[in-house]
Amino acid sequence: MVAAAQHPNITLYTYSQVESVGGYIGNFEVNIKKKAKYVDYSKCTGCGICETKCPTKKVPGEFDCFMGERTAIYKPFAQAVPNKPVIDNKSCKKLIDGKCGVCAKMCPTGAINYEDQDEIVTENFGAIVVATGFDLIEWGKFYPEYGGGEIPDVIDGLQFERLVNASGPTGGKIKRPSDHEIPQTVVFIKCVGSRDVLKAKSYCSRACCMYTAKHAHQVREKIKGSDVYIFYMDVRTPGKMYDEFYMRTREEDGAKYVRGQVSKIFQDGNKVIVRGEDTLVGKSVEITADMVVVETAMVPRPDATQLAQTVGFSYDRDGWYTEAHPKLRPVETNTGGVFLSGCCQGPKDVPDTVAQASAAAVKVVAMFSKDQMATNPQIASVNEATCVGCLLCKPICPYKAIEAKEITERAHGETVTRTVASVNSGLCQGCGACTAECRSGSINLKGFSNLQLLAEVDAACL
Amino acid sequence: MKRIGVFLCWCGSNIGGVVDVPKVAEAVRTFPGVAFVQENKYTCSEPGQQAMVQAIKEHKIDAVVVASCSPRMHLPTFQKAVETAGLNPYMVEMANLREHCSWVHASEPENATTKAMDLVRKAVAKVAKLEPLFESYIPVTKRALVIGGGIAGIQTALDIADSGHQVVIVEKEATIGGRMAQLDKTFPTLDCGA
Amino acid sequence: MSVKEKDLSNWQPKILGFACNWCSYAGADVCGVSRFQHPSTVRVVRVPCSGRVNPHFVLRAFQRGIDGVLVGG
Ligand SMILES: Cc1cc2nc3c(=O)[nH]c(=O)nc-3n(C[C@H](O)[C@H](O)[C@H](O)COP(=O)(O)OP(=O)(O)OC[C@H]3O[C@@H](n4cnc5c(N)ncnc54)[C@H](O)[C@@H]3O)c2cc1C
Ligand code: SF4
Ligand code: SF4
Ligand code: SF4
Repeated sequence: MVAAAQHPNITLYTYSQVESVGGYIGNFEVNIKKKAKYVDYSKCTGCGICETKCPTKKVPGEFDCFMGERTAIYKPFAQAVPNKPVIDNKSCKKLIDGKCGVCAKMCPTGAINYEDQDEIVTENFGAIVVATGFDLIEWGKFYPEYGGGEIPDVIDGLQFERLVNASGPTGGKIKRPSDHEIPQTVVFIKCVGSRDVLKAKSYCSRACCMYTAKHAHQVREKIKGSDVYIFYMDVRTPGKMYDEFYMRTREEDGAKYVRGQVSKIFQDGNKVIVRGEDTLVGKSVEITADMVVVETAMVPRPDATQLAQTVGFSYDRDGWYTEAHPKLRPVETNTGGVFLSGCCQGPKDVPDTVAQASAAAVKVVAMFSKDQMATNPQIASVNEATCVGCLLCKPICPYKAIEAKEITERAHGETVTRTVASVNSGLCQGCGACTAECRSGSINLKGFSNLQLLAEVDAACL
Repeated sequence: MKRIGVFLCWCGSNIGGVVDVPKVAEAVRTFPGVAFVQENKYTCSEPGQQAMVQAIKEHKIDAVVVASCSPRMHLPTFQKAVETAGLNPYMVEMANLREHCSWVHASEPENATTKAMDLVRKAVAKVAKLEPLFESYIPVTKRALVIGGGIAGIQTALDIADSGHQVVIVEKEATIGGRMAQLDKTFPTLDCGA
Repeated sequence: MSVKEKDLSNWQPKILGFACNWCSYAGADVCGVSRFQHPSTVRVVRVPCSGRVNPHFVLRAFQRGIDGVLVGG
């Protein structure tokens, strides 16, 4: 993280979003919205005095999966990069009703600026790499039988990560959310929302088998004498040192793997009861637990499809971004100059994410190794002599490649100007949709022309 | 009229084991415009391509049909090959005798052979109407945008930056790091997340 | 003799397919890779997008005696 921030060739725009993308491969024009941070980063030294003085202290912290609290002016976590705060305008008293202003008074460098505004910058790029990652499924919506997310001590994997994390809300002590007691019996349930065609997602989320083993190990390591149960369908450990890791969790840590599904979870006093079945012995089981961790499906970010539409590339029915070819072009999209990196393309763990990230980088660097690039010549072209300028083709083009153009010509001894369609060769992707629309047959696709395709049809129908 | 060369590939036994390639070759010789027909064990191989290049030159072929596998797989290969022979790379068409024929009609070799002829006829008909196309060149802005600053975005950005190009990371949150920064230790090595 | 009385049990319709290079043509390739056997009476024309298929092409195919047209995209 720090390496990225310090690299002379990398510019970070945090708290920012892509608003719109124009242009095409090699020449994108991108509008980026930099959201108001209310802190002038050229003055702020990151000392953090503002955070300690801010009286608005009870804002549920996103970074800690809402299990901890933060101030209105905050850094998401202590090692944030850049290590400077932003003011959350939804909870800051000064920004809501003008009553506070403590941070501005305390800041030794005068970095606070309550007048800060969102800003749009326009920049040019040759290539775009999308690396927007994943979210966890809102499992409560899909599994009312597991308490629908209402039982405080039934948490998801990311919440668990925050509980074991030394910089998390509990300082790395595993304490359950309801009463901050240390749980003695912890149940993990794998594949919640994954591989469940009927209720949620059909796919496997790939990282959970392994991180569940990690979580089990962490509980056994940190809570002496604890009992750990893991409900599973099967255990998938394809990776270097993966199966070994899993076997250690089973054999050395003594985590108890129960093969079967959980049918019900409910609160009973200060305990959480987990009912399920052990299909290996063919019996139903009931475990009285102190805390339950559901290891849930990875899903795309909530705004993933919107971003895909803004940039202009495709995604699948689950919202994962689609690669151009599953085997041969795994980091390219079907849109020239747009590449994929990490979990936005589908669930994966860190080793796979990093491998794919470097692969995407190489594709970009290869593109940048030449000063100019050849364009696909199989694009649309307009026969200006017959084009009547109706522009029916214009709205059809999915890539906004068709524009009206004025031409002047001599007709009957006079100079006349008329409108015709004109194709931008940089934008045209050669789909040919326009050709089917043109009533006068004036727009044709090179390499797949009307004549060429009709010749094929004729030959095939013999 | 164009002089069309047709190169029929056996693809080892992938095509040749089902489709009667010599019979197809015989039929293809009668198709209008076809000036030359050649069979090959593996057209995409080095010797296969060389034979093609040589034939194009020797027989003054000006448009090519390669009847082999899917154009999604090898069209670029054969475009390059005909280019070395001095032809415009857009003067090639492929007939997909493998994915669309021998592999899916393995139990009916006669019908597969008839279909193979039809597929070649179709390709020959198209090639007869092809015209040379020329690529144009557009300048490349050597600056990359990375959307999302998780471990994936950071790694991509570092690699591009290390090779000397400018990179901008646009991150929605106030910090980069993504999920990885939220993790404690990571499998399989159990080293730290941040 | 009406059509119905003819022995149609062995009749296979001749089908012309228009397949988008990026999806259905790729799909037909996958079909090949997985050795998915199907009737040998389908002929596929590769197009850059199903949007390229002019209705004119479909009519022409029927004029030339094809039994069915499939546009995949
Ligand atoms: C509970 C849990 C434990 C795990 N443990 C392990 C482990 O031990 N070992 C392991 O190898 N893997 C583990 N994983 C998997 C690991 O988290 C992922 O492989 C990795 O984080 C993926 O990185 P990423 O960069 O693709 O996505 P993310 O980490 O999700 O990063 C995406 C980034 O993009 C930003 N972003 C999203 N949308 C936009 C937008 N529209 N505009 C701008 N920015 C945007 C996000 O804010 C974020 O910073 C675990 C996963 C979970 C859920
Ligand atoms: S007090 Fe000022 S300088 Fe210090 S972290 Fe806050 S804004 Fe930055
Ligand atoms: S002005 Fe807002 S951010 Fe600053 S101290 Fe007050 S509540 Fe906190
Ligand atoms: S071929 Fe497709 S991309 Fe090109 S101008 Fe026509 S509709 Fe637009």
